Formats: sequence, C-alpha cells, structure tokens
Amino acid sequence: MLISWADLGWILLSLFIMFNALSVVVLSLTWLERKALGRLQRRLGPTRSGPMGLLQPVADGIKLIIKEDIIPSSSEKAIFWGAPLIVMLSAFMIWVTIPGAQDAVIKNLDLGLFYIIAFSVIGILGLVLAGWGSANKYGTLGGLRAAAQLVSYEIPIIMVAVSVAMLAQSLDMREIVAQQSSYPFVLVQPLGLVVFFIAGLAEVGRTPFDIYFAESEIVGGPFVEYSGAHWSLFFLAEYINTFAIAALTVLLFFGGWQFPGVELAGYLAVIWFLFKVYLVILVIVWIRGTFPRLRIDQLMAFAWKVAVPLSFLTVVMTAIYQFYGWPAWSLTLMSLAGLVWVGYAIYRRMAGPASRVAQTKKRIQARQEELMAARRNRAERTRRG
Amino acid sequence: MADAARNVTAPPLDSGAAQARPVSGEPVEMLLNMGPQHPSTHGVFRMVLWVDGEKIVDIVPHIGYLHRGSEKLCEGEQYHQVITLFDRLDYIANFNNEHVYVRAVERLMGLEVPERAEYLRVILCELNRIASHLLFIATMGLDAGAMTPSMFCFRGRERIQALFEAVSGARMMHNYFRIGGLKEDVPEDFMPRLRELMPQIREDLEESDKLLSFNEIFLARLKDISPVTAEDAIDYGLTGPCLRASGVEYDVRKAAPYSLYDRFDFNVPTGLDGDCWDRYYLRVQECYESLSIIEQAMEQMPAEGNVLSSLGRRLVRPPAGEVYVRAENPRGEIGVYLVSDGSDRPYRLKVRPPSFCNLSAIRLMLINTWVADSVVILGSLDIVMGEVDR
Amino acid sequence: MLNSIKGMFITLLSSAKGLREPVTRQYPATGNLLQREEAPTPVQPRFMGFPALTWDEGVGEPYCTSCMVCIRHCPTQCMSSTMKDNPLQAEGKSSRRKIVDSFEINLNRCILCGICVEWCNFDAIVMSHEHEMSTYVRNGDRVDLPVLLELGYKHQKETDWVPPTKRGK
Repeated sequence: MLISWADLGWILLSLFIMFNALSVVVLSLTWLERKALGRLQRRLGPTRSGPMGLLQPVADGIKLIIKEDIIPSSSEKAIFWGAPLIVMLSAFMIWVTIPGAQDAVIKNLDLGLFYIIAFSVIGILGLVLAGWGSANKYGTLGGLRAAAQLVSYEIPIIMVAVSVAMLAQSLDMREIVAQQSSYPFVLVQPLGLVVFFIAGLAEVGRTPFDIYFAESEIVGGPFVEYSGAHWSLFFLAEYINTFAIAALTVLLFFGGWQFPGVELAGYLAVIWFLFKVYLVILVIVWIRGTFPRLRIDQLMAFAWKVAVPLSFLTVVMTAIYQFYGWPAWSLTLMSLAGLVWVGYAIYRRMAGPASRVAQTKKRIQARQEELMAARRNRAERTRRG
Repeated sequence: MADAARNVTAPPLDSGAAQARPVSGEPVEMLLNMGPQHPSTHGVFRMVLWVDGEKIVDIVPHIGYLHRGSEKLCEGEQYHQVITLFDRLDYIANFNNEHVYVRAVERLMGLEVPERAEYLRVILCELNRIASHLLFIATMGLDAGAMTPSMFCFRGRERIQALFEAVSGARMMHNYFRIGGLKEDVPEDFMPRLRELMPQIREDLEESDKLLSFNEIFLARLKDISPVTAEDAIDYGLTGPCLRASGVEYDVRKAAPYSLYDRFDFNVPTGLDGDCWDRYYLRVQECYESLSIIEQAMEQMPAEGNVLSSLGRRLVRPPAGEVYVRAENPRGEIGVYLVSDGSDRPYRLKVRPPSFCNLSAIRLMLINTWVADSVVILGSLDIVMGEVDR
Repeated sequence: MLNSIKGMFITLLSSAKGLREPVTRQYPATGNLLQREEAPTPVQPRFMGFPALTWDEGVGEPYCTSCMVCIRHCPTQCMSSTMKDNPLQAEGKSSRRKIVDSFEINLNRCILCGICVEWCNFDAIVMSHEHEMSTYVRNGDRVDLPVLLELGYKHQKETDWVPPTKRGK
C-alpha cells in the first residue's frame, strides 16, 4: 500500500476545498475586473444583481451553465471536448503546490517551482487543440498564435524563476518565501520582477498581449466556436492563471505572506498574502485599461530581442553576485542598470515612428504659425480698409 | 515591409470570391472570410482574404449587405421627405448629409437662406463633424485593442447628442434642416448650452488624445502601416482625411467654399506619410479646427432673425434642370447630383458617397500587410456602410 | 516609454474621478426583487417620440378631422384614417364639421421624423415623449384611435401643451 486510506481521504478533501476556493476566487476576480475597469472608464460597472453587483458573476455562471453547448458539426469531437479539460487541468494542477501561508498548502514539494512551471506549459497544448479542433479558421489562427506566444514567453519566466531560485538556494516555495524575511527579492532583482511580470502577462494573455484571442481581429481565437459550459471552462482557466501569475509574482518577489517586522500566523498570513495578490491583480486591470494590443510579430520580436536576453542577464547577474559573494546592493545596482537598459531599448525600438511623429508635429506647428501670420496680415489689411 | 506595400500596384479585381487568386500566383494556405458579421468591419462589410500564414496576399471586398435602394427611393418621395432618407445615408454625420441635400435643392430653386439659419447649420454641421470624429477615435482605439479611449470619446459624443436632441428632438435622425432654412429656431437656452459644451468637448478630446495618440504601442501598431502616396490617393479618388493624410491639401470647404465657410479662419491639417497614424491624427486635429470654426460662428451669428426663407413651409416644385452640389463631410467629399423635371419629386438623385470611394482603395492598402493590420487599416478609412451601400 | 507612463497616470486619474462621480447612470428599473424604482433619464422638451393624437378638452373631442394631410406627407406611409360627420357639430357644440372616425399608426414603421406634426393644420397630432413601446407580438405596435388619444392626452398633461397655432410668436 503506497498511500493510506486516511491520507487519500485527506487529499481528496483538500482538492475539493481547493477547487471551491479557486472558483470563489474566479468569481471575485470577474467582479473586481469589471468593477475596476468600469470605474477606470468612469462607468458604474455591474450594479443590478445583488448589492453593488456582487452577485453578477454568479448570475453569469448560471447563465453559462444553462446555455446550450454547441458543437460544430465539422469539428473533431474528441479534441473539441477534451481541449478545455486540458487547459483547466493545468490551471488547477499548479495550485497543488502554491502556498497561501506556511501551512496553507495541499502538498508542498521540494521542487515546487519546477513543478509549477512544468505544468503551466501544458495549457498551451489545450489552446492549440481547441483552435484546431473547432474547424474554424479564426480558431486555427488563434491557436497557432497562442502556441508561438506562450512558448516564447515560457523562456523568460523560467530564466527569471531560476535566478530567484539561485537567490533563495531552493526550489521549495516555502523556502523561497522564508528567505525573504529580511528583504523581499524585488529590492535586489527589480529587473527580474519587470521581466517576470511582462512575460507573465503574455503567458496568461492579458492586455497588451491578448493577441491569441484578440476580439477585434480574430474574434476570440481558439474560443470562437465554444459556448456554454465548455467556454466557461476556458474562462475559469484564464482567471485562475491570472491569479496564479499574480500569486507567483508576490511569492517570488514581494515576500509572500511575510509582513515586514511582524510574524503573521494562521489566517492573518493568508489574508495578507491575498491582499498583496489582489493588489497585483488591480495593476493588471489598470494596464488593461490603458494599453492597446501589440501585433503578433512585434510581440515575438519583443520576446526574443528583449525579454529573453534580459532574463538570461538576470541569471548571469545573480550568478556573479552569488559567486563573488558581493553585498546585496551590488545586485540591486546591476539590476537597475539592466532596467534602464530595457527602457532605453524599448525607447529605441519606438524611436523610428516617434521621430517621424515629432517631425510631423514640427511641420504642423510651422504651418500653423504661418497661417496665424497670414491671418494677422489679413486682419491688418481689413483694418486699414 | 512598409516599402513593399508602398510599391504594390493592385491588379484588376476578379468578379468574385470563387475566382479570386493570389497576386503572386503561388499557392497560399488559407482563404479567410472576414465579415459580414465580424466585429471590426464597421458594419456589414465583408472581405475575403487570401492569407499566407498571417500575411495578406490578396483581398476581395464585398459590399451590398446594407443596400436599401436609397437613390431609387428618393425618386418616389417629395422633396421635403427626401431629407429623412439623407439622414440615414451616413448615419454618423446626419446634419452634414441633410445640409448637402437642402443646398442642392436651394441651388436648383435659387433660394436665399436667412443668415441666422445658415450660421446655425454650420454650427450644427461642425458639431456633428466632431461627434463623428470622436466616434472614429473611439473605434480606432478599439480596433487597436484599447478600451478606455472609446469610453472617453463616447462621453464627448453623448454630450453633443444631448444638445442635438434639445435642438431637433432626435439624437441621430434629426430631420431638422429644411429647404430654405430650418424646421424651427433653436431653443432659447441653445447658446448658453453651447458655450458650456465647448470646453467639455475639448476636455474629452484632449483626454483621449493624450491617452492614445502617442502611446508607444499605439504608434507601433499604426505608424508606417500601409502608407498611401499622394499620387495613389488621387488616382483612387480618396477624399477627406484619407487624402489629406497623404499630404494633399484639399478640403472642399477651402477649395470651393460653400455655405459660409469663406467667413471663417481655419486650417486644413495635412499628414506627412499617409499611413494609418496620419489618418488617425489628422482627424484629431480636425476636431480642434472644427471647435475654432464653431467659436467664430458663435461670435458672428446674428442673435435674432428668421430661420426659414420667405418660401415658408409648402410643397416645393423646383424648376426643371439639374445641379451638382458637393460638400466636405467628416469622411470626405459628398456630392449630390439632382435632376428635376418640375414636379414635386426628384426625377433622379445620385449620391457620390465619400466612404464608397475611400473604400475602393482597400485592396491597395491591405496587400502585404498582416491580418491584425487589416482591421486597423479598415478602421483608419472610417467607412460607414449605410453610405457605401446606400 | 514616457507616453505609456503618462497614459498610466491619465487612467489612474480617471479612475479616481470615476470613483467619485461616474458619468453614466443606472438604467431605470421599474421595480425588481428589492422593489427599487428609479426615474428614467429625462428627455429634452423637444424630444420626438412616437406620434399621438391630441384631445380638445374645451369641446370634448379630438382635434383631428381626418383631413389626411399627415398621411399624404408621411415618408413611410405608416398611417391610415377614416372620417365621419361630427355629431357634436349637429348639436352646435363644435365647429368641426367632420371628425376622425378611426386612426391607425403602425409604430414599427414610423421613423419619428415629425413631418406629420409639421404639416398638420389642426394641431391634431404631436410627437409624444413615449419611446419604449416594444411588444412581443408582431403587430403589437399597430395602435388605433383610443390608444393614440390616450398617449396624446398624457403628453398634453405632462408638458402643458399649447396648440401650435395658438402659440404667440
């Protein structure tokens, strides 16, 4: 007997609890996103169902479950059915080992970080299969875009995670958090945070990287033929992934449930952790409310020309810092220098169009001055008669 | 890529999708049917794209999904009823459409319009131009994936439409201009409301302008996408912002001043490269110009006076003859060719819609771009299908 | 890069404003689970809703004499009517020799252009402020004389309507 009945029961119970907790989280996320985005655009957001529209996600969920689940006749049935499950599975599997506090974890693994990254890649397969299996050209385009985008941005995420693991000298999530008791890693590795966050946005397909389901171009990409409960699985997975990226950002860079100077215990630690995660989510929503979407070739160029080299740079910098045993602030300086370089690189990337724009502006200004002068002359002449 | 697009000369169109072949003759991967139910084709426009991966190799546009036979309908309606049909051509810029039609009939009859009525018409038309351009900025942002500018712009448009409702009783299909003047004078609180509205529109416009126009990602999406040279633009009969973006300074309001436009000082902004960003930013600048025209009109307008000519309200029967009248709509030059046989209904009425002529260059613009660019390029043309299909 | 950061601040500012005073308002509810009721957004005085017939209270009959002017000028031919001899005129109470017998407007066809009101010589038709008249029946919006008079009377009461021909210039 590999596993006792009691352990099996305990695991099943905790999985059940995790499933429900994550569903509640997704409900709260949809509400938060719609409400925050509404206020950002000076709208009200959902108001009708429940106080402040709090029951809106529930109403949405009921509607999605009741809705007819249409399967296109030309689709590959098994794949069409299975794809959402694969996406869903990878989204949930990650959470087995993401801790919410010291003991709030289903099964802490020594190789936790490795496990998380390995399983998050499986979701890509589901997206590609969904796009291909629905026998829709928009779906195919979206699925291929998803494959290109997610595979490329996997690399920066892995490399930054490696540099964090080197800092903490562990792949165990609890150990990584424990290492940040004196200072969070964001202070020594800000470049890592920026790369990780941007790559994370691309990984879950949030604006400005919502390219594989871009509504205005390929009308939903892999999800275009899905409806009802199957579509809601994708929806669920997307939000769980967003939450996972936010949680990982907090765990790896903002010290998880560590409160500076105070030892939090029990529920307080979990609440503090959730508070941080929701703040990161709000930043994600804020970015969604500000930026347009990139094009697929620009996105790939950014991945391979900027994000991947920078993520390697973080690893090299961390290695040098570790090898020579320099003080922590030296890594901070190196990282900040890298960050400035990113800004400059993006600035240069955009310098072509921007300089043209400046030129246009200058020409317009010159013309306007000329016209103003002409107007003054005309007024002068009419005054003289 | 951009240079390649510049040098493309589009070969003659085949008759339909089934006959469509890629330009190069090489095999391509996929035929992508975009529209008529696509969210970004601005109505019921359909493009059949031949794509090689994500690159567009060839495109066949299909129009006619919104054909209502407006021109034929006009022959069956009396002259004052045709105004309601013109409201529904370019349903974003209703006042401008009404204006060009009533001017055509007035020209045919040799009618003098009271000055106050003409000033009010100009103010309303320019307000409508701003409302139309605000909608353009909003949809341009949405096509590029930005949500928030659209909300900012709709706020400004909503304020303008509330004023329109107070003036004409309807938010979009006004039916307010009459042959020889206006239906009735504007309400008493019109001028104070307009004065209050001007800074608000400017604020909404500036907010979305600051947020969107120079955003790096927005620039990367729009700058250098499908540039159209001045020669090509003239050859394809582009008018309005699409032509001016290519550097040609041609505006009917300046080239052949109609109505009262020779009394105002305003600039005709032009672009440098004729790419999508120029087409976008030119419209932003035009909004500011329109605001200045409205300010000047408010100063010059007589405070009192008749708003309907001596003809008054009665059935019009223009003398037999024909007339061609053109005007600068938000989307370009609109022309109305009107033939009268002396009866109370037009004998023939032909419209030269700006959207239709601008849309004809879509093939030149789209070949050799990306699928993601196609919606941006189509958005930058700013078509209204009601006008294209008539 | 700088413009993107500027954009972030603009949206932050906007959300601060949105938290204080959102521009949009709640779509009016006519009572739901919590029995809330909100007033609809007021329309402008000149708002053109569906056309309706007015009621001459002094005499106690409609203004309309069914002269067919509105019907002839309607661009969409959405109206029809019949007339009869006015019984009140025989009694000497009314100056109208003919009066409307039946009147039907197909509101699904009406384009709310207001031409009928403009051409009416008897102040008989108004554009009411009614604009939410959807029904579940295909011909549910073909309204007849009593409904039109009711709509018109409601409009007269709500807006202190004065017949256009009696309005001072």
